[in-house]
Amino acid sequence: MNAPPDIPISVKDLTVSYGENVILQNVNFQVRRGEVFVVLGVSGSGKSTLLKAMIGLYPPQSGEVWIEGANLVTAEGEERLGLLRKFGVMYQSGALFGSMTVFENVRLPLDEFTDLSEPLKELATLARLKLVGLGAAGDKMPSELSGGMQKRAAIARAMALDPGILFLDEPSSGLDPITSSGIDLLIVELAHHFGMTFVVVTHELPSIYSIADRVVMLGSSAKGVIAEGKPAELRDNAADPWVRRFFNREPELGYFIQPT
Amino acid sequence: MKAAAQNELETDVQVRPDGHARVVFRGRLDAQTVTECWSQLEQSLLDAKLQTLQVDAGGVSFCDGSGLALLCHLNMGRMTPEATVSVVGLEAGLEKLFRGFTAEDYEAFRPKPLMKSVSFPEMLGGAVRHWTKNLHEEMDFVGAIMAGLPAGLFHPKRSRWAETLRVFELAGPNAVPIVSLMSLLLGFIIAFESARRLAEFGAQLYVANTIMVVMVRDMGPLMTAILLAGRTGSAFAAEIGTMKINEELDALQTFGLDPVPYLVIPRIVAGVFLTPLLTFYSILMGVVGGAIVMLGLGFAFPLILHQLASSIQLHDLGAGASKAVVFGVIVSAVGCWQGLRTQQGPSAVGLSTTRAVVTSLLLIIVADACFSAISYVLKS
Repeated sequence: MNAPPDIPISVKDLTVSYGENVILQNVNFQVRRGEVFVVLGVSGSGKSTLLKAMIGLYPPQSGEVWIEGANLVTAEGEERLGLLRKFGVMYQSGALFGSMTVFENVRLPLDEFTDLSEPLKELATLARLKLVGLGAAGDKMPSELSGGMQKRAAIARAMALDPGILFLDEPSSGLDPITSSGIDLLIVELAHHFGMTFVVVTHELPSIYSIADRVVMLGSSAKGVIAEGKPAELRDNAADPWVRRFFNREPELGYFIQPT
Repeated sequence: MKAAAQNELETDVQVRPDGHARVVFRGRLDAQTVTECWSQLEQSLLDAKLQTLQVDAGGVSFCDGSGLALLCHLNMGRMTPEATVSVVGLEAGLEKLFRGFTAEDYEAFRPKPLMKSVSFPEMLGGAVRHWTKNLHEEMDFVGAIMAGLPAGLFHPKRSRWAETLRVFELAGPNAVPIVSLMSLLLGFIIAFESARRLAEFGAQLYVANTIMVVMVRDMGPLMTAILLAGRTGSAFAAEIGTMKINEELDALQTFGLDPVPYLVIPRIVAGVFLTPLLTFYSILMGVVGGAIVMLGLGFAFPLILHQLASSIQLHDLGAGASKAVVFGVIVSAVGCWQGLRTQQGPSAVGLSTTRAVVTSLLLIIVADACFSAISYVLKS
C-alpha cells in the first residue's frame, strides 16, 4: 500500500495488551508530514505502550502501524530494517550509552550504517551536536551531563541518520522550565524549518501548548483515543468535560482530599 | 572533467589550468551519494593546486546531514587547502543550517585526543595518593563495622534480625545443592588420588584419614568460602551497588540511617553464622564422597568409620571452624564494601561485583596461608 505523501504515519485499529490486560483497543489516528503530533493522557493511559507499539518494540495484539507506506507490524528482515531507519527515537531517560562520550554516541549510527569517510562523519556529528546546542559537550561522558543536556544529546543521536520522523518520549519531563522551553523550541525549529515530523509523548501542558500542532488524548477507561484536535480547541470546546478539565488543570474534587 | 551520474547525484567537477575550479552538484546529497562521490572529489581537487573553488549546490534537490557535512568540508578548504572556497545556490533552509556550522565551530568542538603524558614521579605520586585514600576509606569501613556490630547484634531497636534471616536464607539453604555436589566430588577426587599413591605403600586404609584431615583443616573451609565469594559476595556487591545507583543509599542517609549498620551488619552477621554451618556440611559431604570410594575399594563400613573418627582431634575442628568464621567475615565485608564503593555508569555494578569476588578470593588465600603458618608455629 502506498501512503498519501502527506501522511507519513498511520495507526489503524491498533490493540495492545500485556497478557490478559488490554491497554489500548482499536486506536486509530494519522500524523501529517511536518507536524508536531502530541500523544497525551494521564499516567497509566497507555501513552508509552502506544509509542512502543508504534516504533516496533512491542508487537500489538492486532492492528497496523503504517510508516512511510509500509506496515511496521508485519514487516520483516530487510524491509523492517529499512523502515527502522526512517525514524529516530528519543527515550525518556535519554538512553545514551554510558561507556561512550557524547560525540561517540551521536556518531555511532553513522559508523554502523554509512560508509562516509572519517572527516565527514566527524563533521556531520559535530554539526548535529551544535544544532542541539551541545557543540562543546562532545568530549563529555553522559554521566557528566545534566538531564536536559542528556535529552538534547539523545535527540542529536536520534537525528544522526536524518530520519524524517522523530518519536520523543517525555522530552521535557523532569526538567526546569528554561531547559524544558529550550527543548520545546528545538522541536519546533526542527519541525517547522526542516520539515521533520514529530510524535511526542508527554503530559506536560506548557510543552503541549508550545509545540503541538495536533494532539491525541488517550483515556485509561476508554482504552483508546478520547479526543483529537488542536490543544486550544480541546481546552475550550472538547465535548468530554474530563478532557476540558485536563487542559485547564482542574483537579477532580475528592480525588485525594474529600471536599469540605 | 565531467563525472557520470551516480545514483541520483550528478557531480560535475571543472578544473581549469589557471587554478580555478567549479563543482556542481545536482540531485540528492545523502549518505550514500556523498560516499560515492567522495573519492572522485578527492582525486580531482586534492592535488590540483587551486586558487579558487566554487561549489554550486543550486541543483541539489535533497540534502541530509551527510550532504551538509560534505559542503562544510569543501567550504573549510579541507580538499583545497590553498584555495578560496565559496558555496552558492543553497536553498534558504539549507543555507541557514550550512551557515550555522563554521570552521571555527569545527576547530572548537573537535573531540580532543585523550593521550596525556604523565611523568613517572607524577604517576607514582598519584598511585600512592590513590592507595592511601583507599586504605583510609577501608579503615573507616572496618571502624564503622566494629562500632556498629554490638548495636547490630544486641540493640533491640537497631538489630535487624529479620533482614539477617532473609540474607541467611538466600545465601545459606539456597547454596546447599551446589555445596553438596562440589564437596561430594571433592571427596571422590581426594579419595581416588590418595588411594592410588597409598596403595604403593600398602596403606590404602589411610585414605580415610587423608580425607578427614584435608577436608576439616583446609579444603572444607576453603572451597566453601570460594563458593560463597562467587555466589554471595558478588550478590551483596550487586545488590548494594544497585541501591547506590538508584539513590536508595542517599535516601537511607537522609532518614538518618547509616548504611553500614542498616545494610552491612546484617549481611556480616549472616555470613559469620552461615559460613561455619555450610563448611561443616561441606566437610560431611566430602567425607561421604570419600567413604563411597573406600566402600568401592572393598573396605568395610565400620573400619572406615573407625579410621575417620580416629584421624581427627578437637583442635582440628577448631581450626576449621575459625577459618570458616574469618572467611565468612571476609566474603561478607568485601562484598558490602565493594557495593558501597560503586560508581555511576552502566558498567559500575559489574565492576563492583568483579572486584568483590577477586578481592575476596585473594584475601581468603592470604588468610588461609596465615592460618597454616600460625598452626605450624603453635604445634612446633
